[in-house]
Amino acid sequence: MSEERTMSEEQLIDPKGRIPVFLRLTLTVLGISMISEVIGIQRIPTGIATIVLLPMLYAVVIGILITPDVLGKPIKALRKLISDDEIKLAGPMVMLALLPLGVKYGTLVGPNIVRVVQAGPAFLLQELGNLGTIFLALPLALLLGLKREAVGATVSICREPTLGVIGERYGISSAEGTGILGTYLIGTVFGTVFFSILATTSVATGLHPLALAMASGMGSGSMMTAASGALAATVPEFGDQILAFAATSNMLTGVTGLYMVVLVGLPLVNFLYRILEPVLGRSGGTREVKDGN
Amino acid sequence: MAISGPKLLNQLKLLIVIGIMILIAQRIGYGIGILQAIPGMILVIVISLFALVIRALLPKVQMPAFAWASLTALILSMPFMPTAEVFLRFTDEVNFLGTTAPILAFAGISVGDKIQKLKSLSWKVVIVAIAVFCGTFFGSAIIAHIILTLQGII
Repeated sequence: MSEERTMSEEQLIDPKGRIPVFLRLTLTVLGISMISEVIGIQRIPTGIATIVLLPMLYAVVIGILITPDVLGKPIKALRKLISDDEIKLAGPMVMLALLPLGVKYGTLVGPNIVRVVQAGPAFLLQELGNLGTIFLALPLALLLGLKREAVGATVSICREPTLGVIGERYGISSAEGTGILGTYLIGTVFGTVFFSILATTSVATGLHPLALAMASGMGSGSMMTAASGALAATVPEFGDQILAFAATSNMLTGVTGLYMVVLVGLPLVNFLYRILEPVLGRSGGTREVKDGN
Repeated sequence: MAISGPKLLNQLKLLIVIGIMILIAQRIGYGIGILQAIPGMILVIVISLFALVIRALLPKVQMPAFAWASLTALILSMPFMPTAEVFLRFTDEVNFLGTTAPILAFAGISVGDKIQKLKSLSWKVVIVAIAVFCGTFFGSAIIAHIILTLQGII
């Protein structure tokens, strides 16, 4: 997986002599964004839940589809638009494009900082539950034969903030980056559907609906909406409280989630990887541990 | 890592390009006028650039530029900060969802050289992802259930 990186990030984002590459990539991404926004937010009602599709979902799907190994194979013209140079440039562009979203996250949390501080011990402690990803999924990933990909795939629920952390620490083209993109893409494509069904059925576990409501705030607005909406519909006597608890928890994960990943999740997953990989790991894959830069 | 002037300048240029993309995308998706959103977008780009500078100045602090951008915006928008009112009024014109389409379009293209690799892991990745989703959901729910019970709330 650790293929040679001939150009550094600094060289990649230098447009000198590479203007056509920049133009092809940015205009393509602009086109994808415009098409995605024209399609707009779609709600598909099914028997169980309303499936909500957001423009970002179409954007990632179109982005993958137009690459050389997918539609670029049968459609030669696409390979003239998007080929290796554009794909390599797209990595550092993700990191830059994430920054405006980071600012927006801050502006969503700041005004609610007092409520966040007052939110109480249950809200704070259940944030530790997000580490359940590591305890449940890391051993499973190692048993399945994943190596360093497992670190990225299981460090958290792998939404945009974690994508930012892993991208900067290991590089989005690294084994860890591949792992997180896997969980991230599956989450982006199937997350809302999965969580709306999981939330509805989880009532049967006997866990209190308010506890399940807190669990619905995972740091993704769309997933939180899908999960808490389904939960509120399932347990209507707690309906309003469920939505309030989920939104508060989601806000908290917005604040703590990133620090949880940087300060607890990443050290923990690397620690457990070192212990568990020799026991559970199978041969093949990427074994070497790369230090962050 | 010291601050590299040329690198920062290139990053600024690309942030401006990304900003223009967001302005166009959110005009189409959420009907926000391009001109009315420009001041807010300038603020967003300035904070993004500030985050890149801080990240470059403090390489020892294990926080990505993304986190510095969030933290800076969080501090500026806290209710008791004198900056909050003006800052939020301008940045409200930059739509949260509007910033996401370009990110994911770049992200989709950037995995283009890994499609073969992803195909080879696909069913494993799906199983691991399901375990990840269940892990965070039930991990949080079990702890919340215990603490809420101890607090006597449920």
